[in-house]
Amino acid sequence: MATQEEILEMEICECGEKSVAQAIEIFQNTALPFKKAKKLVTECNKTCCRAALIKLFDMNQFGQFDYDEIEALIEKRIERMRRMAEGDS
Amino acid sequence: MSTSDWESLKAWLVSLDAIAEETQKPEDVRRLDLSGKALESLPETFGMLTQLAVLNLAHNALSSLPDSMRACEMLSNLDLRRNQFEALPAVIAGLSLRSLNVSGNQLKNADALRECDTIRVLDLSSNALVTLSGAFAQDNELRTLNVSCNYLSDLDSVFESLANAERLNISGNALKALGASVGSLEALEALEAGENQIAVIDEAFFSLEVETIDLSSNQLRHLTLQGLESLEELMLDNNPFETLEIAEDFAPYLREFSCDGCGLKQFLLPPSRFLEVLCYSSNAIEEVPEAIARYEKLRELDLEDNAVRELPDALANLLLLQTLYVEGNPLSDKAKKIIEIKHPEICDLTMKRGIVIDEAKAEDLEQMASLLEFLFAIESDFTFDYKKQLNGITRLFEYEGSDLLVARDGDNVVGMVTMQRLVSSAAGDFIGQIEDLVVMETYRKSGIGSRLINKIRFIAQEKGYKRIQLAADINNDYALQFYTRRGFSRTHLAIFHFKNA
Repeated sequence: MATQEEILEMEICECGEKSVAQAIEIFQNTALPFKKAKKLVTECNKTCCRAALIKLFDMNQFGQFDYDEIEALIEKRIERMRRMAEGDS
Repeated sequence: MSTSDWESLKAWLVSLDAIAEETQKPEDVRRLDLSGKALESLPETFGMLTQLAVLNLAHNALSSLPDSMRACEMLSNLDLRRNQFEALPAVIAGLSLRSLNVSGNQLKNADALRECDTIRVLDLSSNALVTLSGAFAQDNELRTLNVSCNYLSDLDSVFESLANAERLNISGNALKALGASVGSLEALEALEAGENQIAVIDEAFFSLEVETIDLSSNQLRHLTLQGLESLEELMLDNNPFETLEIAEDFAPYLREFSCDGCGLKQFLLPPSRFLEVLCYSSNAIEEVPEAIARYEKLRELDLEDNAVRELPDALANLLLLQTLYVEGNPLSDKAKKIIEIKHPEICDLTMKRGIVIDEAKAEDLEQMASLLEFLFAIESDFTFDYKKQLNGITRLFEYEGSDLLVARDGDNVVGMVTMQRLVSSAAGDFIGQIEDLVVMETYRKSGIGSRLINKIRFIAQEKGYKRIQLAADINNDYALQFYTRRGFSRTHLAIFHFKNA
């Protein structure tokens, strides 16, 4: 299991090339609703990292971060992309 | 099982802080929270807890459950989230579960479910399921089913066994179509089907009594929206539509319609007169029709990133419209004037930007003391005295157990919040006392208060404070709602003052 520091450095969004720490910083510095705030992180309309980002956004709204949950969601996305690329669905 | 079995099971549960030392007998244990204890297995004697009703085993490393759990006949709520199950443990087949959460495991099959016909709420999300064919008994009681984030490519036969399901989440799978069997979902109220590859939807879908539908991020290219008489919310974002048409009989009570990033060239007008939220951002819409005036209940309109030059005069007459996103459009001066007249509470064109939430610095203290005048004006227990307040803020700034945040617009401090560390005998540790959350009047309703409170809660978590607390004026309805909406709960305590001379 990764440490909190390692999780904060993990890439949460490939399109916007943002780490978990950068995404938290962006969410903390905006008052926009999720749909708009997400675009500040992803810089695109795609939804590949939506699951982890919406969880992070909610955690920010309630001021309590579960980093293990974020790690699990990021790993799940990577695994999903690998399986989809291999046509394993 | 023997008394010594109970003594060893009890010792194990006490060592995990799951039950009190005083617990007399196994039948006294009705609820157990064993989440996050790094458990790899449960003792075989676990089945002694025959009166157990609620069991939380989330966030462990379990891959099986002891057979003795068959004796836990009262167990109705089982949480197995984030463990290492590759298959549903066979023991659950003999239980009368009402709620089962197996999200975030590595399930490849869920065959044991066939024997679990009492479950009403089931979460199988974030696993490795490829099929659910034959997984559910025909006469099951499922009301809520979440199978999101798996690898399911066909749910046709599953829909046929979900006649009682009210909430269904099938998003994040590999579905290519919603076939005719979707019509079997007779009790469905909410459907989340986003992030699949759905390109085809059967006619039967439009006869459902469903109230909310999310079909965003699919592969829909041609669609005619019709029927769906009970529908209130529809999300179609990020579909590559070539044709999207709306029939006159479509969703007469629709309240929210979102079609962001769909390549739309035309502003679609759903027939419902009850529309409150309409989102068409990231499309290629050039014109907003005058007929938008028909949406008298509209409170949010999102037209961000389109090709709109003009706005209809009727927009200014929509009395409830208070949120408007129009950035990224080549708006004419006339259109900007209409927005100015309309003056919505939230508008991305007029939104104050560049406001930074930052730790307070010594040079901010005078402005912070002045800001308190805004706060004390609404708090009847206090009278503003600049010298006193500056003294207080300065002492707080110098106190090592405090955190002071400011909202900065350039060189101006436009908002602030403070938190100081206290020791709580109830929490048995440090807690944070929040005070002085205030935002300058001209900067209110732009989310600065939320950002300050979110940041201070983040700091409290980083410092390991067990709780944060604050006091708010009981006559300040806005403040009371603000904190409640952000997850603070009201206590039964009242605050008393005794002033020393």
